[in-house]
Amino acid sequence: MVLVLALGDLHISHRAPDLPPKFKSMLVPGKIQHILCTGNLCIKEIHDYLRTICPDLHITRGEYDEEARYPETKTLTIGQFKIGICHGHQVIPSGDLDSLAMLQRQLDVDILVTGHTHQFTAYKHEAGVVINPGSATGAYSSITYDVNPSFVLMDIDALRVVVYVYELIDGEVKVDKIDFKKTTTT
Amino acid sequence: MVKKQVPDWLNSSLWSTNTPPPPPPPRHPSPPPSSSVADRKPAVVPEIKPAEPVKVEIRDPLRDGVSSSSSTDHDYNGTPSPTSSTLEDVSKQALLLQEISNKLISLSELRRLASQGIPDGAGVRSTVWKLLLGYLPNDRGLWPSELAKKRSQYKNFKDELLMNPSEIARKKDNSVSVDYDEPRSEGKGLLSRSKITHDEHPLSLGTTSAWNKFFQDTEIIEQIDRDVMRTHPDLHFFSGDTSFAKSNQEALRSILIIFAKLNPGIRYVQGMNEVLAPLFYVFRNDPIEENASSAEADTFFCFVELISGFRDNFCQQLDNSVVGIRSTITKLSQLLKEHDEELWRHLEVTTKVNPQFYAFRWITLLLTQEFTFADSLHIWDILLSDPEGPQETLLRVCCAMLILVRRRLLAGDFTSNLKLLQNYPSTNISHLLYVANKLRSHPVG
Repeated sequence: MVLVLALGDLHISHRAPDLPPKFKSMLVPGKIQHILCTGNLCIKEIHDYLRTICPDLHITRGEYDEEARYPETKTLTIGQFKIGICHGHQVIPSGDLDSLAMLQRQLDVDILVTGHTHQFTAYKHEAGVVINPGSATGAYSSITYDVNPSFVLMDIDALRVVVYVYELIDGEVKVDKIDFKKTTTT
Repeated sequence: MVKKQVPDWLNSSLWSTNTPPPPPPPRHPSPPPSSSVADRKPAVVPEIKPAEPVKVEIRDPLRDGVSSSSSTDHDYNGTPSPTSSTLEDVSKQALLLQEISNKLISLSELRRLASQGIPDGAGVRSTVWKLLLGYLPNDRGLWPSELAKKRSQYKNFKDELLMNPSEIARKKDNSVSVDYDEPRSEGKGLLSRSKITHDEHPLSLGTTSAWNKFFQDTEIIEQIDRDVMRTHPDLHFFSGDTSFAKSNQEALRSILIIFAKLNPGIRYVQGMNEVLAPLFYVFRNDPIEENASSAEADTFFCFVELISGFRDNFCQQLDNSVVGIRSTITKLSQLLKEHDEELWRHLEVTTKVNPQFYAFRWITLLLTQEFTFADSLHIWDILLSDPEGPQETLLRVCCAMLILVRRRLLAGDFTSNLKLLQNYPSTNISHLLYVANKLRSHPVG
């Protein structure tokens, strides 16, 4: 039972001052084993804050990040799943499923976590699953101002992943879940 | 009144073990009960025979756990007598076996026999303790059904309480949806989202959430883990790299976790692992295979029973109350004053050795830390079998411990007395128990 937090596109302190307090109250240290961050934090203080929630932090570079040394993409294995992270501004058209699938095949991962669109989505295709945790602060994107803060928590247990989606809609935290099993052939 | 003359019929090879060890001197300076049961011996002869061949192999679990630390003079290598074939033990064992094999066991008779000490062999202790703690009913015919019931109940506890929330959620899902593994390779598309019931997500802060409870319990579980690792590091039964030791530690861990979850009032307190260890050791070394493999379940219920008598010692809020640990220690103090005023005065008034400094550990851990493991088993025989109840008996034994070293205590000051009492010197346990017996306020026949 490994809990993995995926979030990104916070844009603190350029477009948003901080995470919503309701999210902050839930993110207590000691529960989460890994954090995957798609990028655009943007400042070091947020990096440190995320570190306090969980020491195992993986970040990829977003176009507005002030820290220049984050990698463009990252892959890691948790349990039986290979997971890849990428901010997504490199993928054009942004948010397009086919292009993301191409990236996924390049990285050779089962789950691809990307951001940039500030919209939560979870797609499935032959090669695997693409998850976009959205923007955890609800910061505006280049496409739209209407963004709900959201992030994703994955519960990885052997060959099964339960994805919990946390969204802040009208001031209330709403949680949904998505089940995903890895086919044992891969 | 020790009978030095051994009757001829008793001198046969029937009574000797395979390896003739150096004959131990007659162990007990105290008047052994055998003198009173000597008349009954002839009647008992036919029963001994079947027990004999079992005896030798049974010694091993007790010896194995201790002898592997093969240093001869090491304090922990203390099985009290190297051979079980002393007259006393054989007769005691026979009597106990006879009593247990009755259809309807008389608990008072069993207590009387057990309070003279239970021999180490033939798995007698395991059954006697279970009877004394009320785990086994005294009607022998009910044993199989009782045991089966309790063991399956424990198994249910394990299944329910030791699962992590991820597994709980999976079980719920599996029971709800039947075919889930359908067209997975249906190509592309958005994954379907499903609703969550009752705040059941990992970051939930709700009080009813299984996840929240799980994270709250992790602290206690960590504490239990640490204590289990530290239990009796000198005994191979409990510590080391063997899979046997690991499985025993696992069992201790499960029992303590389930106990903590079922008793939110006292949860887990450091030291409970020490009280649990002898119980599990005895039951796990039961020669009957079925009992040994279900030792975990049996130990759990007996542990609950044992702790329930001493529950108030572990509850911090009750520390200062009439039933708490402080008042128990005061009772010990009173007992000492009653029986040995000079020593009491010297200890508490002159050298100001507050009984809390030494008696706290003696009482809460039921003397498991003061003597060698084998000796503490003998003390527990008395604690569990005495009709006055374990609390009272414990106080008497503690008082006896003080009286036995009175000369050294009277000659010492605060530092040396405290040092002596916190590292109690090894003594002859039978003598200690004899003195404790004499301290009874209502002498038992």
